[in-house]
Amino acid sequence: MAPLTIIAGEIRQRWRHLLLWGVLFALLHQVAMFAALLLRFRAWPNYVTFYDWPGNVLHIIRSTPSVRDMVGIIREEWLIEIGRMNYDYGTGISEWSLNIMPSRLLVLCLLGAMVGLAVSLLHRTACAAPARNSLRATAGLGAFLVALTNVTMSWVVCCATPSWVVGLAMLGLGTSTSLALERSGPLLSVLGFGLLTALILYLAWRKSRPAQQSKGVPAHA
Amino acid sequence: MKTFLKTTLTSTALVPLAFAAWAEEITIAIGHQSMCTDTYTAGIVVKELGLLEKYLPTDGEYADAEWNITWSDYSSGGPITNQMLANKLNIGVMGDYPLIVNGAKFQETDSLRSIYVAGTGYNLKGSGNAIVVPVESDIYSIDQLRGKSVSTPVGSAAWGMLLKAMQDNDMPAGEYVLKNQSPAVGAANIAAGKIDAHSDFCPWSEIMEFRGTGRKIYDGSEAGVPYLHGVVVREDFAEEYPEVVEAFLKAVIEAGEWIREDPMRAVTEMETWTGVEKEVLYLYFSKGGHLTLDPTIKAEWVDALKFDHGVLVREKAIPPLDFDAWITEDYIKAAYADMGLDYEADKAATVDPKEANAGLPAEIWHARDGVSTYETMPEFLAAVAAMQGTGAKLNATYVYDSETGLKLFGKTAFWVKAGEDYATFLRKGEAETYAASHSGEVITFDAAIADFTSEG
Repeated sequence: MAPLTIIAGEIRQRWRHLLLWGVLFALLHQVAMFAALLLRFRAWPNYVTFYDWPGNVLHIIRSTPSVRDMVGIIREEWLIEIGRMNYDYGTGISEWSLNIMPSRLLVLCLLGAMVGLAVSLLHRTACAAPARNSLRATAGLGAFLVALTNVTMSWVVCCATPSWVVGLAMLGLGTSTSLALERSGPLLSVLGFGLLTALILYLAWRKSRPAQQSKGVPAHA
Repeated sequence: MKTFLKTTLTSTALVPLAFAAWAEEITIAIGHQSMCTDTYTAGIVVKELGLLEKYLPTDGEYADAEWNITWSDYSSGGPITNQMLANKLNIGVMGDYPLIVNGAKFQETDSLRSIYVAGTGYNLKGSGNAIVVPVESDIYSIDQLRGKSVSTPVGSAAWGMLLKAMQDNDMPAGEYVLKNQSPAVGAANIAAGKIDAHSDFCPWSEIMEFRGTGRKIYDGSEAGVPYLHGVVVREDFAEEYPEVVEAFLKAVIEAGEWIREDPMRAVTEMETWTGVEKEVLYLYFSKGGHLTLDPTIKAEWVDALKFDHGVLVREKAIPPLDFDAWITEDYIKAAYADMGLDYEADKAATVDPKEANAGLPAEIWHARDGVSTYETMPEFLAAVAAMQGTGAKLNATYVYDSETGLKLFGKTAFWVKAGEDYATFLRKGEAETYAASHSGEVITFDAAIADFTSEG
């Protein structure tokens, strides 16, 4: 129970800090996707659409009998769409777009808060430099996996409904690789969150150990 | 006095309810694709001609209905499915692969279903999808794509066709590089020569040909799998308003009749609505064009959809689809019956371009005088030469592939001159084979015209 108590204490004590981590992480993720699109297509967006997200969510709740379905559909609702229309063909065709989805922002916010918690615990836990680096790498890998599966870039390529790998394909990932990865999306996401959870528990456990056990280990070496 | 007051109060309280009952607002939200020609009879044509409004019920429980009809234009079918799931669209129009994903995604839910109620049009052999190379490329057949980069919108019908074409030509996935590219990006890359080949759905290949940036090396008809588009409706909407679905399908039928009545008028109008060049649209909607407008649901279509579903399951792990539960002919049959049309007769008829287009005349679309037809190639070439001689502007010329019966732009066909006869082909290989067997030679369109250009 001691690790959980330590985690709860850390959250209570530093919740504002963790919230900031979460918000910043979610924002940075959007900025990174936007920058990636600009670099990939070398063109600025030429349209932005704002959606009535709360109204749409209410509409979905009213018209979807099953709660499970409701959650799945709301998860895909857009708040903002920023993109580039190509007017060389027809009346215009969306060349690429970045979709800002509240459900993903929430996941990324949680992810950012978890990374913040892990970093905070890491700072307060005495451990050797190599171990510290490994722990950082674990946090980074966990965050990377979750961030990757929450990519919301899109283009008309996604005839069979958009998915997270579309963004990777847009950035040049091979088709076979992206198709192979698509199926493992949920697993990768769970793995990412799992890694972060395990790391946080491990750091809290280390912190809960009696101080003498850590004696002789050069911290910050 | 007491009774009077009670009556007055009750009446006043009931007034808003009465108004609500008189004027029930029924929202009909339709998702269509103005950059996908095969959807036009259930999309842009119905919208612009106001055909749905024409057939909406006005009696019985609909006597006081207020209609709120909204049309949303999408670049592909995927987002239409998402919007239908969110109940922001009641009706969606899309191509075969996205249709299947629509049905499967709805059936994956616990409480929602979509139903496939009608087709919009088809090509029996699969024309509409094609593989295009840059116009200056030295690639003329699919075999030459070994080791090359080919892009396609993954998840589309064109992607499915590409996979089948490669399998049919014994080219495993490791022998070419598959890239995922949107039509606009693919078309731009073809124009710039940045990709070896691009596979796309209607009307992108023909747009590239018409603009002189791309050349077809493989037509979807070679894959032999029908290419079709259709209409899906949320089941709860169809159950609540069956007459509205029926009205929509009557509008689809009339849209088809409107196009057949005068294809040139239709494509000219459609160009202003969609921005797609009328000359490209003519290739689809004219007599002998790629598209057969037919909303019936044929057994062959169900088989084709099952085949497509198999590809999607294998490559993209999409959910299963119970076709029997998904497909219903009830609404389209009712629409046919109400309009006094014979559903079974239309259902039984299929158009095979090779047979149907045999003997159809070549055409010249003069910018001022419209379309003129020519029974023989020498007459056609002489007319082109004469018109060019006067400096007249020709919008396009149309001939037929001797091998498949597919309608082609005269300028993109491979011409074979054998004696005094001329034949036209989609692919260079077949033109060469024909030339060899008929002691002829493969020539360009310009060279064929030059034979009829009088000097001086």
